[in-house]
Amino acid sequence: MTITLTINGTRRTVEIDPGERLLDLLRREGVMGVKIGCGTGDCGACAVLVNGRAVNSCLLYAAKADGAEVITVEGLEKDGALHPVQEAFLDEGGIQCGYCTPGMVISTVDLLSRNPNPSEAEIRQALSGNLCRCTGYVKQIRAVKRAAERMRGGGGDD
Amino acid sequence: MIPTAIRDYVRPASVEEAWTILTEPGKTVRVVGGGIDVHLFRVPDVTALVDLTALDLSYVRGEDGIAIGATTTFTEILESAPAADYLDGILLEVLEQVASPLQRNQGTIGGTLGSAHPWSDVIPLLLVLDAELTVFDGELRTTSLVQMLTDRASGVRPLITEVRLPAAPAGADCAFAAFTATGFDVAILNCAVYAELEGERCTAARVAVGGTPALATRLAGIEERLVGEALDEVSIERAADLAGEAIDARDDRRATAEYRRTLTRAGVARCLRRIAARGGEVR
Repeated sequence: MTITLTINGTRRTVEIDPGERLLDLLRREGVMGVKIGCGTGDCGACAVLVNGRAVNSCLLYAAKADGAEVITVEGLEKDGALHPVQEAFLDEGGIQCGYCTPGMVISTVDLLSRNPNPSEAEIRQALSGNLCRCTGYVKQIRAVKRAAERMRGGGGDD
Repeated sequence: MIPTAIRDYVRPASVEEAWTILTEPGKTVRVVGGGIDVHLFRVPDVTALVDLTALDLSYVRGEDGIAIGATTTFTEILESAPAADYLDGILLEVLEQVASPLQRNQGTIGGTLGSAHPWSDVIPLLLVLDAELTVFDGELRTTSLVQMLTDRASGVRPLITEVRLPAAPAGADCAFAAFTATGFDVAILNCAVYAELEGERCTAARVAVGGTPALATRLAGIEERLVGEALDEVSIERAADLAGEAIDARDDRRATAEYRRTLTRAGVARCLRRIAARGGEVR
């Protein structure tokens, strides 16, 4: 079957298998920032924004994204400059091994688009569907705080 | 890519069209709300999927209680004013513990009721809130969640289009308790209690326990015993003990039957104590 969707700002008409996952479609289209992790919605490495909300692309039928706007970690930069959330993850050492990072960043972008000033509890809740294989969450949580400060215009360079 | 037998993915424009596809002879068809369960619990012979996106069933309305369209996601419910206002925010308290934010952005209320997993936290809550459903099986009709689950056990599976919770009268309160191995895990056991209080006296009660490990059910015997009682320690302990005996407890790989009876006693007592404590504050 054929669907049309927007991937990182580019409208594409693609041929898909009716039972395939959005995750597989995106990677076939060369969008490799979307990681294959558990495949069961537990780890969040495959998270992407669909119409502005972060979802597990391993649990979503590609066909359900017909007509949708999909943004992956590759689509966050603007004119060659990283998104403030990406910058904050770099600055705080929140990248670690990097495998969970695209998903963590996507969940953070969703959170901050709706809650510019989250508490630590809200940050932990927002990242609760993203597992870090390095088993450390301290730096990611700091990165989310810093990104929020910067996006509110507070600088966050203290 | 995971190979499947799925050959058709259809987005019907009406419930009638959806029902026609679902009941086509000789085909195994599944409904996609968010699609999580259809994907996770794959049935090998499913050849077609029916996606309800185009049916305009994503809404939360606060009219005489609350009405939620079947394809409304958990996040949409959590962000709606009627859900926040309903019975002191009990829907928010429970739904924000369901799965992860990523899954709550995708999973739908209709999907979770259609799947009717025994570990569902949503089902015991909606059972005690006396949820009513609009379903389609050739015609639109109203049924209760209790009846839908009963019918489901005998293979009757209409298309769910709306979930409604009645307006709560003055003195109504609800509490929920779930026991999980980790924050993200599904419940080993969960329970919900609804009560209406007049002074200290309980004038209506509904108690449901899920994950026994069977699908959640109401405990009518305990509900009857609670009506007319003052919610004091004696009546709470007695109701909790009776609930522990009443559940259909069995062993599975996650817990023993005996442990589930213990959790039921603790959970029901916890819910009733919470309601009793808040009832005191209201008065």
